Amino acid sequence: MSVLTEVHMNILNRSTLILLACLSLLLNACGGSDSEEQVGTVETIDNTQEVQDYYASKPGFFKFKSLADLPVDLTWQDGSHLPEIGSDRAVKGGTEYSRLQDFPRTLRIVGPDSNGSFRQFILDYTTLQLGHRHPDEFEYYPALAESWAVDKENKTVYVKLDPYARWSDGESITADDYVFMFFFFQSSYIVAPWYNNWYGTQYTNITRYNDHTISISIPDAKPDMDARVLELRPMPQHFYSELGDDFVERYQWKFQPTTAAYVVKQEDIKKGQSITLTRQKDWWAKDKKFWRYRYNMDRLHLSVIRDTPKVFESFKRGDIDQFGLNLAEYWYDKLPNDDSDVASGYIHKSVYYNQHPRPTYGLWINSSKPLLDDNNIRIGINHATNWQLVIDKFFRGDYARMQTSSDGYGEFSHPTLKSHEYSIDRAQEYFAKAGFTDRGPDGILVNSEGQRLGFTLSTGYESLKDVLTILKEEASKAGIEFRIEVLDGTAGWKKVQEKQHDIHLAAFNVSLEMYPRFWETYHSDNAYDDAFLDDGSVNADRQLKTQTNNLETLAIAEMDKMIEAYRASDDKQEMKDLAFKMTEMHHEFGSFVPGFYQPFYRIGHWRWIRYPENFNLKHSRTAGEYYVHWIDPQIKEETLSAMKDDITFAPEINIYDQHK
Amino acid sequence: MFNLNPQTLKKIRRFRQIKRGYYSFIGICILLFAVMIGELWINSRALIVSYEGQLYFPTYADYHPGTDFGLDYNYETNYRDLQAMFEQEGSDNWVLMPLVPYNAFENHTSIGIYKPEAPDFKLRHFLGTDTTSRDILARLVYGTRIALLFAIAFMLAVYLIGISIGCAMGYFGGTFDLVFQRLIEIWSNIPFLYMVIIVFSVIPSIFSIPVRIGILLTVMVLFSWTGMTYYMRTETYKEKARDYTAAAKVIGASNTRIIFRHILPNVISTLVTFMPFTIVSAISSITALDFLGFGLPAPTPSLGELLKQGTANLRTAEWIVTSAFITLVLLLTLVTFIGEAVRESFDPKQYTVYK
Repeated sequence: MSVLTEVHMNILNRSTLILLACLSLLLNACGGSDSEEQVGTVETIDNTQEVQDYYASKPGFFKFKSLADLPVDLTWQDGSHLPEIGSDRAVKGGTEYSRLQDFPRTLRIVGPDSNGSFRQFILDYTTLQLGHRHPDEFEYYPALAESWAVDKENKTVYVKLDPYARWSDGESITADDYVFMFFFFQSSYIVAPWYNNWYGTQYTNITRYNDHTISISIPDAKPDMDARVLELRPMPQHFYSELGDDFVERYQWKFQPTTAAYVVKQEDIKKGQSITLTRQKDWWAKDKKFWRYRYNMDRLHLSVIRDTPKVFESFKRGDIDQFGLNLAEYWYDKLPNDDSDVASGYIHKSVYYNQHPRPTYGLWINSSKPLLDDNNIRIGINHATNWQLVIDKFFRGDYARMQTSSDGYGEFSHPTLKSHEYSIDRAQEYFAKAGFTDRGPDGILVNSEGQRLGFTLSTGYESLKDVLTILKEEASKAGIEFRIEVLDGTAGWKKVQEKQHDIHLAAFNVSLEMYPRFWETYHSDNAYDDAFLDDGSVNADRQLKTQTNNLETLAIAEMDKMIEAYRASDDKQEMKDLAFKMTEMHHEFGSFVPGFYQPFYRIGHWRWIRYPENFNLKHSRTAGEYYVHWIDPQIKEETLSAMKDDITFAPEINIYDQHK
Repeated sequence: MFNLNPQTLKKIRRFRQIKRGYYSFIGICILLFAVMIGELWINSRALIVSYEGQLYFPTYADYHPGTDFGLDYNYETNYRDLQAMFEQEGSDNWVLMPLVPYNAFENHTSIGIYKPEAPDFKLRHFLGTDTTSRDILARLVYGTRIALLFAIAFMLAVYLIGISIGCAMGYFGGTFDLVFQRLIEIWSNIPFLYMVIIVFSVIPSIFSIPVRIGILLTVMVLFSWTGMTYYMRTETYKEKARDYTAAAKVIGASNTRIIFRHILPNVISTLVTFMPFTIVSAISSITALDFLGFGLPAPTPSLGELLKQGTANLRTAEWIVTSAFITLVLLLTLVTFIGEAVRESFDPKQYTVYK
């Protein structure tokens, strides 16, 4: 759409049109011959020999022994004492209709474009690992493993695999698939540097004893070293026999045989529109403890609806079964308790207070920038940021103030430390210490050199742009100016990864882990190349390091030492002490303004979507994460006919605060 | 710039005779004036403060810290509170607030949380508030002001470039014309909206908001000037062949003089008829960009942003979309009416029926 289009269309001259026509013909022709060529000459690859050679080239990493070599004095555990997950009232069947924000760009689970919102359906929330953390008890329960044993001294975990485990194409899952997993993730074919790094450096050995026994070793003993091994997912060697340089294209739309209950059939992929997952009727784990009451729907139908307001309208029509009501405007205004569908009991509303490490929403201050390298300015910014007002008025008091950057880790979170409170006076005191004492004609502080106290406050979250506006207005009272920059998600993330930001509102999503990580965000290795000289003094020629998660460019020699001790430690108490000390040091450094966290999740769902008695599990992140809900076809029929005849039910607005 | 010759006077007379266009023109002038002095009737700053015998006029002045009026804070005075305080005290001090005592950025809620509130004459939120409790009338007025100024600046820039290059192509002709024409064809086939979105999303925001609006303007102009060149080129070709041009050449006038003093005034009628429509499409474009979230940087008030909020809250806050929609329709209709009247009055065929 050109600004002048309307007026000028008529004279778009003929030569242009002809040129365009020729061009498009040319393009079409190219496209045609290209694809034909591809179909004709796709070469078959067989990488069996290559894989074997790779194993042989790393004899320390890949070991092949016999069962006789397995240590005998191991203590095997299998998590069988843990309670079931889900409800025995769950019935199988039905189709759940949900929404996808965007059509997946690939069915691969690794490589370019694979880390999208669709991945949770074919990887994160559905496939099986060796073992999983119990979402109520925090201990591990078995999935692909039958039992496991931890040998702390040798930093090794031994695993006996479940001999009945099958891929969705019927092949059995054996030790070879785990050995192959390391080949796969260490290979450069998959175009996934993070995986290359993680599987290349965080593990030191895998040993195959027989078809169903393996051991895996890691570099440092940790209190939760079982997690490192048990959370691995095998890769089907027979499926990836054609792994090669063209992996990204060759496997783009191939669905990998899965360990999960749900598979994607080729005929259910409607490109650009919808994708449907089907439950395997003979899923190998369907009768196993921990799994039998979950993944209850026969089909999951996911259709692409981009706009959230449209999704809500679809939900109200009953085209979609559940809708997240985390935002206050939806919970209170758009689907209020006196909404006719809610009051008639057709739609249920539920709030569930969960326990989960909290995403770190807050302002990340780039301490390498001029002025922001001054501790007083940073602490002043902490005091000038009115998160409490945002929480009270924008989030309507539903959310809570985050106190440190590692909240929600139970005993590993600092018990007493509180974030800097909003105080105009204290902020001005700190700014004055940094030389900003006078206000300019617009009320913004200036120092004696005439520098204004102004910074760019950016974010990649379009939905939180109003939060920035509120913070800006409040901060200007303390004499500091925030220039707001709202970017789209990718551009925002790129900006902080390039360390181009002044102050950025972002959050890291955190997985369910025992203790927080510090190295990624606070170690000088991730801030600068050679941050310190050998004698511990600051290296004057140090260069900023980009593409790391140390968004604050925080580099403190003392912090580095503590992080290294923390990473190497296998003593829980020592780690806790270190975590507290590091959190305090970080607090005093002031480069992070802790924002808010949401202590619950809440959803609206049609009456036929049923949840267990306690609704969900303590450490669940969303209502759907553990697939404990089911569809009751009888209730669905009953509800639909009741809606026609204006019969109502008792409204259900449930608050589950047992873990508050 | 140009002397009003009898021809022009006749055209103006005809324009005044076309009532719909003429009244639209007066309407838009009043509107433009009203939004230009927006600070005087929509503002959180007081018009006049009388404090201890002294008069203050804060509207266009530097900020007054609260301490200027005996308050205990040194950031910008909250004049609404000040007014309420003076009235409560019953002292001789008084504050005169504008008709709408809010600016376009502040969140003002009467219920303790930020959510849209319906129009309320008592609180002087005449059109209600938006999703973060900002006054809609204030955002509309300042948004319209930016859109209008933006459109006018856009038009001027596009015409300046379009006319210069178009005239040059027509006047010099030959290889220059041939090469430039091909370049323009290629350039004008770059999709405008995508380019603006791409270019604007990679521009860093170390700049202040006015500068960023300027950058957006530049980017839009860069991808829109080509249309004008087609007309200017053909018109210039035509005029160049006339005797008066040859005469000027013989006398020894420079190329610049011939183009801008002799040819341009003769092709001006074509230009003028396009102007209002360019303004219409500029306003539509900036609104569309804002609606998509790629336009004016937040928290700049804008029609597109209000429309977006409105469509997202159709069920719960219909007053947002209503105000924004009516404003946009009104604005575009007025300008279109003017455009049609201008075109009509410049039409050499006197007695066609005005449709």
